[in-house]
Order: sequence, then structure tokens, then C-alpha cells
Amino acid sequence: MTTAATADEAAFVGIGELPSGRYPDRAFMGGLVDVAVAAVRDAGLAMTDIDTILLIPCLHSGADQADLVFSRVVEELGLNGRAKSNVMFHSGGSTSDNTVRSAISLINSGHAHNVLILQAEKWGSAPLIEMIDMLTANGIPREWEKASGLSFNAVGALIQRRYMAASGSTPQDMASVCVALREWARLNPNAMYKDKTLSVEQVLGSRMVSDPLHAFECPMMADGAVGLVLTSAREASKAQDAWVRVAGSGGCVSHYSIGQEADLAVLGWPTAAAPAYEQAGWGPGDADIAEVYDSYAAVLTIALEGLGLAPAGEAGRMFAAGDFSPGGTLPVNTNGGLLSAGHTGVGGGTALLAEAVRQLLGRAGPDRQIPDAQRAVCGGSGGTYMDSQVLLLERVTK
Amino acid sequence: MSEPGMAPLTEPFYDGLGRGELLIQHCKACDRTIMYPRHRCPFCYEADLDWVTSAGRGVLHSFTVQRLGAPSGFEADTPYALGVVKLAENVQLLGRLWPDAGGGWDSYACDAEVEFHPAGQDEISRRPVAWFRLGSPSS
Repeated sequence: MTTAATADEAAFVGIGELPSGRYPDRAFMGGLVDVAVAAVRDAGLAMTDIDTILLIPCLHSGADQADLVFSRVVEELGLNGRAKSNVMFHSGGSTSDNTVRSAISLINSGHAHNVLILQAEKWGSAPLIEMIDMLTANGIPREWEKASGLSFNAVGALIQRRYMAASGSTPQDMASVCVALREWARLNPNAMYKDKTLSVEQVLGSRMVSDPLHAFECPMMADGAVGLVLTSAREASKAQDAWVRVAGSGGCVSHYSIGQEADLAVLGWPTAAAPAYEQAGWGPGDADIAEVYDSYAAVLTIALEGLGLAPAGEAGRMFAAGDFSPGGTLPVNTNGGLLSAGHTGVGGGTALLAEAVRQLLGRAGPDRQIPDAQRAVCGGSGGTYMDSQVLLLERVTK
Repeated sequence: MSEPGMAPLTEPFYDGLGRGELLIQHCKACDRTIMYPRHRCPFCYEADLDWVTSAGRGVLHSFTVQRLGAPSGFEADTPYALGVVKLAENVQLLGRLWPDAGGGWDSYACDAEVEFHPAGQDEISRRPVAWFRLGSPSS
């Protein structure tokens, strides 16, 4: 059953974002407050209109994570006594998708009027080995896989090797994914690598980390912060000419341990995508843009194929042909993605979601705004790519 | 060594590796094989579980060679190879791969036939993991 737009349904109306990269002097809580204010102003609302805060977890610090859970943001924003609820969801990189599902349900049901989603991460400033060990210790069965020496890059490598074998994609094809994302990042003033060009030769000339992944094919940990505001379509129409609705959603948790994934070149995407398109009443051919989790090249190509945005096995070659680059047939990860805008932990998916909303609102700026963008396919994944989450977004005008 | 309550699952499996056997958990109620070992059968939810010995034959679904950025404690092991193996007993697992005759892993490929070939007791005591090598077609 498809869903038609209604006055009660949830609408994205505002975005705030800080540049991604290494900002050791930028305070965690200060970043959250900055994007909160920016998003609420962008929405045309007052901070006191916000009644519900949904938080995206941070991974860099247990103390900062505890501050989020214990409602410090409410107090920092002066919403003591006004906020109904301050709560966090967590599914790793797909958290933003699950948080949006919660936000729209709260608004559609009348439990919330104006929801502020907030995310901040300081991965880029945190000690690298501590973050590698933290990632290595989590999402891997301690009793059965940890003793193998599995690293997070090795998880990406196992997926990329299988994808290359199944699709016949070459190292050049896979490197071209990173190059395409860099071309998008060059158009995004908030991207970590906005000032650095990248070529296929540079990628393949960088050191081998975990075969077949070269150093420049591994994501760089970054600091970042994003805020998003949702309200009802009724409220949105008072202050805005256009807003963004969620037309369809679907998900699939396909494994916990990487050793138990039935097909590393498929994951959960086909299962997640089918009900989302059915609910939306449109298909992959109707999408104007795609913003899909991309912590490694094959994580993105597999998702694009499972989402029906590329024929099976062809996404890598389509990247090499420039189909998903600026000027190509389908703009993909127009902010530069995790690989070139920066891997902000759980926030990488949040940044892609924010970019989809920004494009559909027509607020992406002169360099990278996709003309007349009406429909976006958003895909998120988390942990060891244990889940595949799909949100289909549509622009709505008054 | 095991976390509280985990020994009934971990010790038989680790002890098997130490003897050079790859054990697979088995549900006596529904006769299904289970990897990795669980507290209850994930198919029928009964807890009447025992072990069978794997024949050790499988297919390599994917693999990687860890060269840089190994987790703490594994730096001295590099380079080392990891692979996801689908066993003939209809279960799969992540394990280590022995170097080939050339001393590396160039002979390995996705969908290659592999066989369980145990590491020594000392290595298993240090790191309880199943090791595989390329299967010999004649054996």
C-alpha cells in the first residue's frame, strides 16, 4: 500500500551541519549546540518549539555518551521543563535511519510536535589505536572470532574481495568509487577532503592495508556534527514552501558476525529495498539522487545494486564510467560520502541523510545542488554491515 | 578464561581445536548443525545440544591478508590471512588461512576448496581459531 502525503505526517524542515575533519579544539557539546541552533533556525522555528530530542550516539568517549543519555543537551539548550523527552537509539551506522523512523512515528501519532535530531562525533581527534581497538572489540563475537585478529578494515576487505569475485570488478573499478566520491567532496565545503584531489593511480599506489583494500580505500575517522528538525506537514506549511517526507522505509538485519553472513556480496539490501519501494509507490528508476552508506567502496556498490540503482555486478564498472560522479546519470553521495567527507562514526549515515534532505529542499548550494531533485534513495548500514536500512524521501511543495 | 557461563560452549570447542578437531554444535531435537555454538538451537529453540566432528572440507567464501593496522596484540602476526569458510556440514565460520607453498596467499581465491588443518596446541592455547589450507583435489 502506498502512502499519500497528509497534514499530520512528519516533514523534514531544517538542517544544521559543521565541517567534518580534525577539529581537536571544537568542544563536543559546543558542536551539538551549534548544529541545534542552525537546524532550528533553518526550520523557521524557535528553540522553544522543540519538544523531543532524539540523539545519535557518539563513539569517541564514554563520558560524552553519558552526557547525551543524561539529557545534558536539554539543559545546554535551555529546554529544561519544556522538553518532553530526550532519548537515544543505537544501531551503529544505520542509527539515523532508525531514529528517523522513530521521529516520524512520534509526529504521525501526535506524541511529538517538533523533533530535533542531533549528532556529534570526535573520532578525528581521538587516539587512533584506541578507536581501532574499540571497533575491533565490538561487533565481533569475542569467543569465536576475536582471536582470529579480525580488524575493521579486514571486515571491509572480506566484503570487497567477495564483491570483486562475484562481479568481476577490477581494482581500477573499485578505486574509481573512491575517486568519484572525492569529486563530490570537492564541491562540499563541509567535506574533510574538499581541498585534495584523488586519482585511481594514487589509490592503487597507496600501501596495501588488508587485501584488496589499499590505504586510500579505507575511511578516515573524522569529527563532525549534524542537526535535523522534523515537524508535521501542517506546521511545515506555515513557514516553508517545501519540505521532505518519508515515502517508504524498509530494513533487514542479515547477520551479527561477519563469519555468519550468507553472501558478503549481497547483504540485506534486496530484502530491505522491496517493501520500501512498494510503500513509496515508486521505484529505483524514479530516484533523482542516492545517498548510501559507503565506508568502503564495495559496501556502496553492493548497496546500489541491492537497491536496484545498478544492475547486479555493474555498480563498480558504472563508477569507473563516471555514471555516479558529478555530471553522471545518477548523483550518488553528493556530500562526498564517508570515504571523502569523513567517517564520523555513527554520524556518517546521519551526514548522508542530511545531504539527501538538503538536496530535496534545494539548499545544497550552487556547486552541487542537483536541479529539480524530487526523490532520494537513502541507505544506511551499521557495525559489520549487519543491517541494511532504506529510507525513500520525497520533496513536497505547498 | 571464558566469561562466566560460557565454558560449556567454549571449552569443548577450544579443546577440540587443541586436539586437532573442528567441532560443530548439533541440535539433538531437530538434527541441525549450528556454528558458532549457541545457548539454544536457533532453529527449534531447544537446549538439547551436543557436538559432531567436522570432516573439515569447505569452500572459501572470501578472504583477506591483514598487513597494516592490526588490532593491539596482533602486530607481530602480520601479515596473516583470514577467511570465511562454508563447510560441507552447512555451517560457516571465520578462520585463519595457512600460507601457501610460496609463503603467501596468492594461490587462494574466492570459492576455492579448502580443508581444516589444525594449528599446534601452543598456538590454539594462545589463539583458539580454526586454521584452513587449500584443499588437495586428490585427498
